[in-house]
Amino acid sequence: MEFGPILRTMRLNKVRYGLIAAEIALTLAIVVNCVNLIRDARREMAIDSGFDDENLVSVRSTPFDKAFEEDGYYDNSVRQDLDVIRSVPGVVAVSNTRFLPWQGGGSSMETRIAGSTGEMLRNQVYNADESTLAALDARLIEGRNFTRDEVDAEVLRLRQLFNTARPRDSRGQPLEKISQDVIISRAFAKLLFPDGKALGRRLEDTDGDQYQIVGVIDRFYNPYGWPIHEYVMFYPTTSRSVPGGAPYLVRTKPGQKEAVAAAIEKRLLTSNNGRNVRTRTITDIKRQFQGQSTLLVTVLTVLVVLLVFVTSLGIVGLTVFSVTERTRQIGTRRALGAQRVDILRYFLIENWIVTTIGLVVGTLLAYGLNVFLVSKVNGAKMDPALVLVGVTILWLAGFAATFFPARRGAAVTPAVATRNV
Amino acid sequence: MLFHNLRIAWKSLKRNAPLTTLIVTGIALGIALATTSAAARHAFARNPIPSKSDVLHYVRIDNWDPLRPYPGPDPTSPPTQISYRDMRGIMRSTIPARQTATFRSGMYVYPDPKVGRPFRENVRLVFSDFFPMFEVPFRHGTGWGRSADEGPEPVAVLSAEMNDKLFGGANSVGKTVRIASRDFRVVGVLEEWRPGVKFYDITQNFIEPPENIFIPFNFVEPMEIRTSGNTDGWGPSTAVPGFAGFLQAEVNWIQMWVELPTPEKVAAYEDFLRSYVLEQKKAGRLPRPVNNRVTPLMGWLKEQSVVPKQTTTLFIVSLLFLAVCALNLVGLLLGKFLARANEVGVRRALGATRGDIFLQYIIECELVGVLGGILGLALSLGGIAALNSWLKTVAQRGDFFRLDAPMILLSVSLSLLAALVAGVYPAWRTSRLAPASHLRLQ
Repeated sequence: MEFGPILRTMRLNKVRYGLIAAEIALTLAIVVNCVNLIRDARREMAIDSGFDDENLVSVRSTPFDKAFEEDGYYDNSVRQDLDVIRSVPGVVAVSNTRFLPWQGGGSSMETRIAGSTGEMLRNQVYNADESTLAALDARLIEGRNFTRDEVDAEVLRLRQLFNTARPRDSRGQPLEKISQDVIISRAFAKLLFPDGKALGRRLEDTDGDQYQIVGVIDRFYNPYGWPIHEYVMFYPTTSRSVPGGAPYLVRTKPGQKEAVAAAIEKRLLTSNNGRNVRTRTITDIKRQFQGQSTLLVTVLTVLVVLLVFVTSLGIVGLTVFSVTERTRQIGTRRALGAQRVDILRYFLIENWIVTTIGLVVGTLLAYGLNVFLVSKVNGAKMDPALVLVGVTILWLAGFAATFFPARRGAAVTPAVATRNV
Repeated sequence: MLFHNLRIAWKSLKRNAPLTTLIVTGIALGIALATTSAAARHAFARNPIPSKSDVLHYVRIDNWDPLRPYPGPDPTSPPTQISYRDMRGIMRSTIPARQTATFRSGMYVYPDPKVGRPFRENVRLVFSDFFPMFEVPFRHGTGWGRSADEGPEPVAVLSAEMNDKLFGGANSVGKTVRIASRDFRVVGVLEEWRPGVKFYDITQNFIEPPENIFIPFNFVEPMEIRTSGNTDGWGPSTAVPGFAGFLQAEVNWIQMWVELPTPEKVAAYEDFLRSYVLEQKKAGRLPRPVNNRVTPLMGWLKEQSVVPKQTTTLFIVSLLFLAVCALNLVGLLLGKFLARANEVGVRRALGATRGDIFLQYIIECELVGVLGGILGLALSLGGIAALNSWLKTVAQRGDFFRLDAPMILLSVSLSLLAALVAGVYPAWRTSRLAPASHLRLQ
């Protein structure tokens, strides 16, 4: 093997080889970190909500007609809207609920196991009617769903409760507690009751009001400003207000959501013109919520592609240059009896040494950059498998970038190469 | 002399056009990415109101649960907004030169039926000081006076866009616009107002442009206006039902700004807040330790991480990308210069010093830098346009990212610097060539 002569030659040209090694090192460090960031962002974007996101449409009716200020009129209008939406072809289920998946927030409250002195736990809280679970396509794994009669009764009971002053004790707590039946998510049930038996148990809030768990749903994930993405409580009632409007969640047959949304808008306005109606698909809302991550992934991908392009250009350029420069040297060696394969081997070994040095330094740089990004900015810890893949790819790329110029160099005949000596 | 150098450099670059294109494109790509990501970050990080950012202060009071701190990344931070009761309490202070409490609500606007159907619009409720405090630009009329705050008088300020929509762009001062249940008299119409981030309210989507309608804050009570923003609360519900109960509750939904022109005023205002909190404690409220914050504008934006971390990551990564491009440039320039060794030999033989040769090649490098910089800037314009069109799909705004003077300056300096760093070694190597060995072959 010619390691000795190769290394001695390289010592004479430290800068040129140093350049290639540095370029490879930086490329490895940047590419694996970018891919790591991309994978991290994509992992977060791929989290399953537990709902049929692809076929959900949000409908909001915001009234401006003064007639809606009367409770009975508004209540009837909500029931009527539900019937109108249900009659649109392509609608699978429709619900009147404040819950809107993927908007990056919602409402929350604090509860704990009734009668305990433990810490209050924060959870998301939304109203649900008898069709909310069907509209979301959420799976009930224990207990029961709400019934329509129950929802209607709760609407009247809660309205009366909130419109009258509740007598309170010296600490500001209502003297008379109320109780509601609720459905919670599996993750929240597990957080509250590690023994897994949540059904039938009771929770209490800061007023001491009670919540009896009558059902548990399987997966629930709705990103929130606080780390309570998987904890939810649904209570039976309708949702509508004069300034806020009435929100509906619609599940459509696959592939029909746009057409169904347009039809719903038209039919709702025909049935009552004293309001505006706005529809949005949940995929749209989700896309908005994930906008920054999408942008990051796009830009990083562009950057990785450009980087690999620029680096390979650089390596090919330098190799071509170094082969051309040594045409006479090659000729001399060929004249002294070296075979083509010897010349080829010489260049490949030379390149292997440079690439390997670059990759060793690059691996260290990659981890260094990762530690810096994780501690100072954001991102996930580096996956060693990623570095390994990066090293392998760059090794092969370096080999390819040398092989073709070197083969051309080796093809030089001794006569041509030594003509000018 | 320098002009002569430039001419030779230009000729040399023209001689091998494909290689030159490659070299310039390489550096331009690096500059384009670095400039675009710098501009993306800068759009969030830049000072939205440089003339006043030192004197504008955001006010917070800790009214949270005695048992636990306000949930958030920093447990020592008070809630991000204040309650209605505290707002009423501290608005009595006469220390600030100007002050405003503010929040946003969704309200119905009833235009002339000839103009269109009623529509819901984001309306911001403010005190009269809001307009001079935040240097809001007017096209017609002005904001309202302090006396209109007290009534409150039904007056409104419209954005240029809203004025176009409702009044076809005519001067609408003196006309009325119906909002919810009342008629408001227009007293001012704004110029197009586009601060970078919506700095006066960063509790919601702060990339969006300012609201289109402003009305006096004190309509909250008579019109029972609720916020369309975040409402954070804790503890038992209030004894009073309905809207009156909401106003009394320990729920936070109001942003509070004060203008304090001197450090003495800041100290005096902090004292005032402390004594206000102590007074409230006597009345049984505000159970947590005194934790008031009077934060200057830029500090507040920083504390709330207005600059998305992703943009910082992108900026760091694209600077590294530029470094790779520069390294690449070193190799390409080295090859290009050494291929012209004969020319150097001739010049040296005719009396050029090594310094002359070095200068010649450095100038050639800088020419490459300038060309790469120009191309890079052009490419980054495309990048910024792409960012803006992406933003339009998520935030109804297409002018948030801009290539402003500081970014152009950064771009130009980066390209000159990259070319200089990349060029020094090749130029030096070339200038050290011995003339004789290269003349022999002529």
